[in-house]
Amino acid sequence: MKKSIFFLSSLLCANVALKAQEVKYEEYDLDNGMHVILHQDNSAPVVTTSVMYHVGAKDENPERTGFAHFFEHLLFEGTENIERGEWFNIVSSNGGSNNANTTDDRTYYYEVFPSNNVELGLWMESERLLHPVINQVGVDTQNEVVKEEKRLRVDNQPYGNLLAEVKKNIFKKHPYRWATIGSMDHLDAATLEEFQAFNNKFYVPNNAVLVVAGDIDVPSVKKMIQDYFGTIPRGEEVTRNLPKEDPITQQINAKTYDQNIQIPAVIAAYRTPSFKERDAYALDMLSTYLSSGKSSVLYKKLVDEQKQALQVQAVNISQEDYGIYALFGLPLGDVPLTDLLAEMDEEIVKVQNELISEKDYQKLQNKFENQFVNSNSSIQGIANSLARYYMLYGDTALINNEIDIYRSITREDIRNVAKKYLNPNQRLVLEYLPKKDDQ
Amino acid sequence: MKRYIYPLIALFFISAGVHAQVDRSKQPEPGPSPKITLEVPGEFELKNGLKVLVVENHKLPRVSYSLTIDNKPIKEGDIAGVSQLFGSMMGNGTQSISKDTFNEEIDFLGASMNFSYRGGYARSLTKYSERILELMADAAINPVFNEEEFNKEKDKAIESIKSGENSVSTVASRVGRALAYGTHHPYGEFVTEESLNKTTLKDVKKFYQENFNPKNGYLVVVGDVKFNDIKKQVEKYFGKWQQGADISYNVPDAKYNVGKTQIDFVDMPNAVQSNISLTHTVDLKMNDPDYHAVLIANKILGGGFNSYLNMNLREEHGYTYGARSSLSADKYVARFSAGASVRNAVTDSAVVETLKEIKRIKNEPVTAEALANAKAKYMGDFVLALESPQTIARYSLNTIINDLPEDFYSTYLQKINAVTAADVQRVANKYFKPENARVVVVGKGSEIIENLEKTGLPIKYYDKYANPTKKPEAPKEVSGVDVNTVLNNYIKAIGGEDRLNKVSSLILKYEANAMGSTLLNEEKKVDNKMAQVVSMNGAPMMTVVVTQEETFMKRGGMKQPLPENMANDMKIMAGLFLEKDLLNSDKAKLSGIEKIDGKDAYKVDVAGEVVSVSMYYDIETGLKVKEVQTTSMQGQTQTQEAVLKDYKDYDGILFPSVKEGTQMGQPITSKLIEVIINEGVSEEDFN
Repeated sequence: MKKSIFFLSSLLCANVALKAQEVKYEEYDLDNGMHVILHQDNSAPVVTTSVMYHVGAKDENPERTGFAHFFEHLLFEGTENIERGEWFNIVSSNGGSNNANTTDDRTYYYEVFPSNNVELGLWMESERLLHPVINQVGVDTQNEVVKEEKRLRVDNQPYGNLLAEVKKNIFKKHPYRWATIGSMDHLDAATLEEFQAFNNKFYVPNNAVLVVAGDIDVPSVKKMIQDYFGTIPRGEEVTRNLPKEDPITQQINAKTYDQNIQIPAVIAAYRTPSFKERDAYALDMLSTYLSSGKSSVLYKKLVDEQKQALQVQAVNISQEDYGIYALFGLPLGDVPLTDLLAEMDEEIVKVQNELISEKDYQKLQNKFENQFVNSNSSIQGIANSLARYYMLYGDTALINNEIDIYRSITREDIRNVAKKYLNPNQRLVLEYLPKKDDQ
Repeated sequence: MKRYIYPLIALFFISAGVHAQVDRSKQPEPGPSPKITLEVPGEFELKNGLKVLVVENHKLPRVSYSLTIDNKPIKEGDIAGVSQLFGSMMGNGTQSISKDTFNEEIDFLGASMNFSYRGGYARSLTKYSERILELMADAAINPVFNEEEFNKEKDKAIESIKSGENSVSTVASRVGRALAYGTHHPYGEFVTEESLNKTTLKDVKKFYQENFNPKNGYLVVVGDVKFNDIKKQVEKYFGKWQQGADISYNVPDAKYNVGKTQIDFVDMPNAVQSNISLTHTVDLKMNDPDYHAVLIANKILGGGFNSYLNMNLREEHGYTYGARSSLSADKYVARFSAGASVRNAVTDSAVVETLKEIKRIKNEPVTAEALANAKAKYMGDFVLALESPQTIARYSLNTIINDLPEDFYSTYLQKINAVTAADVQRVANKYFKPENARVVVVGKGSEIIENLEKTGLPIKYYDKYANPTKKPEAPKEVSGVDVNTVLNNYIKAIGGEDRLNKVSSLILKYEANAMGSTLLNEEKKVDNKMAQVVSMNGAPMMTVVVTQEETFMKRGGMKQPLPENMANDMKIMAGLFLEKDLLNSDKAKLSGIEKIDGKDAYKVDVAGEVVSVSMYYDIETGLKVKEVQTTSMQGQTQTQEAVLKDYKDYDGILFPSVKEGTQMGQPITSKLIEVIINEGVSEEDFN
């Protein structure tokens, strides 16, 4: 648990007079180690039942990448009590909707129902955890589906391999180095026993958090949770000992080719700390300052005024163990990639040496506050945030307090993270180029 | 001031108190329909008559303001459109704050604000909420109406009318309303270019004075506010709002429905699909005890994918991409409609099937399953909408404006759940009246009137503005000319057979600007082969290759073969000069004479199973002046039209240098930027 970092920052903020918002919740553990978070909000008769499992692409065998995402498909195939193909019918004929998603860190499943179907949602999620049917038919079916998804979202998508290329170059040891969707060869080579073993290892109650949020009656929902989940046996503890990266001390230069594009792109990517660190928040604000919206620095300069770029972006992709801060530019016309990079670097140097203006700082604060507030405007959004803050940040209270961290970031902090992380010798410069037929 | 209705949900669960181990082999049954916990808003009224509802919700530090002016429907008469112009001019600064400063401040605060002719909406973080309220009040009380903004908005409105001129759905909606309610009724009148041109800035100011009046106003505040604080703020900022003149008027009655089912037909020669809408007015208010049963009946008839209409017209017959019906309650007059957009050829059958499904729901009880699914879907939809605090606010307001019982929304789901199959049949008979309905059909007369007449229903004819008119004349007969003459004239006009015979390859590049992007369309042609590459801002988006062996589409690196029936149609059209290939073949038909841009042109059709093309050749010059390509698949029909203009000479051959078309309803003009003859095309281009 990494609570120590936040302990300090919450002390710093203790003086902030008013709570930004108050999402009330209650949390506890079942005997089998499953963590439960309940959020009662009876203002709308909606309930979200969701389970987040602490398993993502980083937990995969390097020879079997893609497993975590594959499970996100496989676990809709059916259970001992839910026939194959029935999952979605049950949800829609009861007025609900559902979905799931996977990252490098975790896998998340949820249903949204009218609140009189809370038991149905709990039953379905407990079925998925207790005894999903993992057989060859399901594996073969989902293998095709996942391949189609990869074709659609990655292979056939202009710039679709960009993130994978950046990850590959920025991470040398840590499993963030491979793409979340993984390798189709690995999936083809995997045996049914391997899938079953992955399920037994990671899909255990002590590696999961269950969130029930919305129009609930707490005592009766607790009883249902005990009935449906309490009897599921605890699994072995999941321990992680993932390799640490050595610092980048020399610029990494790389080139890659994409047959789907005609306009080259240049990416400058820096390895940054986990999203749990205070610095990650400052980097978030910096990226918004540089490239979010038409009044941002890079957009105004390169797209609007100098007309050197078709598009320019700065993104801070933070995860549980590390983050990536990336500047991305598409040149307009014949502008060389090196020029574009130099122009972007010039702005980085500026923020390393000068403080952003008070007015820009205030506008940033307003934007982050808005974003934070609106991210909790739906019950489904709150359920997801509660699970994420508990499981990945180790601090559920961030649902209400995270904004205090943004508020505590100063103009100096923003300058300092630019100085600390965004130096040329700490980065990858990737030229992402159109593939010609002979390449 | 906050009064809570306590939901008593806990009561429902008491029965689940004592039990043994759950049986997980059985899918849990849903609990009773949830009651909705709706706060009753705090209320107060300002001296000027503005009524304020406050829903305190401190979960998130944000506040929204929604202002509604609940006027009776307003008849605008010969300046129809004045309300629209007025609404679009609101919220653009105030008497003391310029438009730019106003918008910048809202942006800086991370807030948003917009207005319409009958209200406005704003939201922001709590800490800026007072300032936003102040800006909103200022914008509502001290708006700026100047000549410059007025002209800009008027031009935009005229532009939008013009762009809908040939849109079948726009015309269908206008004529449908006009015929159902009558143009003397505010719901039936419509905006025209003429009425917009008659409207002056003075009218807009007058409209504001007379109709944007706090007396009929409701301000709904939702979010992180304290009743007493917000009361003071609203009094401070909205208290200055003067009550306008008291204009009272009566809403006229809507037109009577017809005594016997009739077809009201509007001819649009450019239509490739017919818009069918069976419609009549209905007396149904939200506080009517039948309301919930009508919702369910409509859901089953035409309110979703599994509805009677959709299953028949789309799933069983493949006439359409989707068929629907609607009946929304209204405190003045409501309207029922049912229909779909269907292929020309099946218009009459679709009318018959629509009538059949409405009769079915009137004559046969719905099945338990259909009823249960309609309820489940309705509950799900209803509940999801409730998540937004704005929905809750809207409900409070609806309760007042529509004179609803106080528990209307909190008992909503129970009432939906209580609807029986017998209720559905009863209300279907009461509210769905095909015997008194007009079936408004907007479509291509020359292809569908003959069949519509066979339905035996009387047909009345209207123009695009709902004026009665005569039955459209059949297209002019062509005499003394056959299709080969037309094709030969064209070939002669663009350069002659000898010149065309010397062409072995052709590259044509057309460029267009659409939504800020540059689109390049490059066609490469040799005998019997064609490759088309569409690029956006220099990046290729899509390639289509048609040869006699292979037909495929390429996006990125992936080849995707086109469906066989589509490929067969497209093979006919692949080649250097289509007219040369069509000559003396049996594939082209001369189908008549139509006016294009006011001049007579021969129309030549090449009909296919999926892709059909119509081409128009100017009688005088022989040149091709228009092309229309229609693609029909799985009940969906798409058309691409292009008017061909300004032929220019390239090496002794004429090509149109301008193509004016529409794509997704947007006009798009392409210019010919390069023609390359007998150079630069290789086999590679077709792989």
